[in-house]
This record gives sequence, structure tokens and C-alpha cells, in this order.
Amino acid sequence: MNPYIIAEAAAAATGVTGSITLALAGMGAAVGVGLVGSKAAEAVGRNPGAFGKVLTIGIIGMALAEAIAIYALILAFQGR
Amino acid sequence: MQGDGLNAANFYRALGLPNKTSLLKTSAPLLEPFRAGRPLPAPEAPCGPETGIPTHDMSLNLPLATALTLDAPTIFPMGDGGGSFIDWLSNSILVCALIALLILWFARKATKNMSIVPGPTQNFFEAVVQQLYDLIESVVGKHMVARVFPLLATLFIFIIVSNWFGLLPGVGSIGWGHESAHGFEVTAPLLRPATADLNLTLAMSAIFMVFWLYWSLAEVGLKNFLNHIFGVKGGLKGMMAALLAPIFIFVGLIEVVSIAFRPVSLSLRLFGNIFAGENLLTAMINLGKDLGLPVWISYIFSVTIPVPFYFLEILVGMLQALVFMLLCSVYIQLSTSHDEEEEGHH
Repeated sequence: MNPYIIAEAAAAATGVTGSITLALAGMGAAVGVGLVGSKAAEAVGRNPGAFGKVLTIGIIGMALAEAIAIYALILAFQGR
Repeated sequence: MQGDGLNAANFYRALGLPNKTSLLKTSAPLLEPFRAGRPLPAPEAPCGPETGIPTHDMSLNLPLATALTLDAPTIFPMGDGGGSFIDWLSNSILVCALIALLILWFARKATKNMSIVPGPTQNFFEAVVQQLYDLIESVVGKHMVARVFPLLATLFIFIIVSNWFGLLPGVGSIGWGHESAHGFEVTAPLLRPATADLNLTLAMSAIFMVFWLYWSLAEVGLKNFLNHIFGVKGGLKGMMAALLAPIFIFVGLIEVVSIAFRPVSLSLRLFGNIFAGENLLTAMINLGKDLGLPVWISYIFSVTIPVPFYFLEILVGMLQALVFMLLCSVYIQLSTSHDEEEEGHH
């Protein structure tokens, strides 16, 4: 469906304006990054010697999860 | 010591002063309108007591930096605009060249007189190179690290210097612009962080993908490479493998799509982080003025509010460079790792 139609419908029904694409993407990214962080903390707690390796994997995971929200941010700057 | 050389006397002469004087005193006439709060020459929109339209608050007479544009403007906008000879020289390309020269100069300075007991610059460079080598070797493996290290380390150093370059004062806020209702508005800055240009990040990702393909094929061979993507996994042989082959071919096609998406995601992630960071800093600096607060409050706001965002941008700059390099090394490791052949023997 046309994203403009969705955005206009949302604005008319509930008064929600702004980029709904970015809102949903941001929500998903925040939940994803939180999951990666919590699992990383748990792993270090179980095996404190593996801190370096867990840190590397955790950083990669967080960057990949955050990238989706960045794509939506670029779209939001273009007015969608 | 005179003549055409680069010395103090010629510096003052180039500014139009006969001899060395205090620059602060001589530029006092230029700063007069700012100090007095008088309006700059009238804007195009009619306003004033005779038209009845209230004038804008012209007492904040400082140049207003706008957000970065998505495409980098050329730094010769006064030219004919119909494609002059050096129209391609945008501000990102200028900064890219500057950063490359900076890194090269620093590297030459560090390695000029190398000794067993290193001086400070050589020590710093050796530490950086050693850390990067260990990190890449732990991900990629000993058999690949000698080939892969130059490109990945260069990517890391270039991206981190370029990301942090955008935090220097003057980058993104000094340049050409036009008069607007709020004062002088800069729309084509002279300097702009190089990685805030999608062209650069896309080029880096494309070059990495070309090298990834070459290294994977050189390391494992074409047959093993295709087997890795389309082949039946799980150690199945014979009848079961023939039955499951179509499914794995379909899975391989999906994997090809995911591999083709890698340069897109690499470039967009880096570009989005740095571009959005620059615009965020600009928005925070202009926050007081955008809210219409009194002038002295917006002065204080534009100095204190961006401080936590500056630290965030420092962190994000380093993190994005690290992530770019780590992801590249992970992609190489995924397609050149030799460990899978031994898994079937356990």
C-alpha cells in the first residue's frame, strides 16, 4: 500500500503525525539491541574470561540490529 | 626574510596591513554590527513598520548553519554552473583528499627514523597496527591475515579519522550561502565530513566486495565457493542429498540475495550514522533559536546542550569504523574458513 495513504490515515484517525516508518523501525531496533546486550551481559557473567570475544560479537550484533533503524532514519530525512 | 616566502611579514601584507598590528583591533569595524545588534542589510521579504509586517528578531546576527544536504555540493558555486571544468570537486572530495594527506603525513612522520626503542609517534603507530593485526587475525585466521590486513586496517584508520573530522569546529558551518530572514544562512559548506557522503561509503563497500570475491575464490577455489553457497550441508550423502538438492539450491539463491545486500547495508549504515549525527548536532546547536527563546538563553543553549551529543558522536564515529572493519573481516571469514571440512569427521 502507498505509505502516504497509511500516514494520512493515521494522522486523520488519531492525530499521529510524523514518520511512522521511523517509529516502527526504531522500536524494533531498540528491542533488538536490548536483547543482544542482555545476552552479552549474561554470557560474561557465566564466563568472565571470555569478555573480549563476547564484546566483539556483541558489538557486531548491535550494529547490525541498529542498521535497520538507520535506513528508516534516512527515509525520514527525505520526508517519508 | 621578505620576498615571496611564507613568513610573518608577508602574512600581514596579504591581509592588507602594512606591518604587524593587532588583528583584533583592526577587525573591530567588521564586528561592529554584531556587537551593536544592528540588522544586516534588509532581507528580500518585506517587513518593517511601514508595511505592518513585524520584523524578525535580527539581533542574533550570527551565521546560521543548516543541516547537511544529502548530496555534496561543489565548492565552486560561483562558477557558470553549466558544468565547469572542476565542477566535480565537491566539499566531500576536498575533505577526503585532506584526510588522506593528513594520514600519509602522520605515517611518514612516524616511520622516518625507525629505531628499536621507539619515539612517541612511532610507538603510537606501532600500537595501533599491532592491535588491529591481532584483532583481524583473531577473526579471519592466520592463513588470510597477511593478504587482508592492509585493506581492512586502511579502511579502519580512514573511516575513524574521517568520522572524527566532522566534529572539528568549522566543518559544516563555514562556506557559501545566502541571506535569509534569520541572518546569513550557510547552504554550501566548504568542509564536510567525508563519510557523510553516500558516494564515499558506497565506493568503499564496492571495493571491499570486489576484493572479498577475489580473496574467496583465490583461497578456496570456484567449486568450493559455489558448494559453500548452494551445496547440500549437514554431511548427507547419496539419495538423501539428491532429494534435498532443490531445497538447498533455493536456499543458495536467498543467500546470494543476502550477499548482494551486504554492500548496501555496509554503506548505508556508515553514511546514516555520520550524516544523522551531523544533522543532530546542527539541530541541537540551533535549538534555542528554533524555539524562539531570548537571545542570551539561546547563546547559552547552543554552547552547553551539544556537549553530550559531541561525546556521543565521538563514540559513534569510533564504533562505526570498528563495526565496518569487523563486518568486513567476518564476511571474509565466513567464506574462507577451512574448519568445516573437519566437522564431518567428529
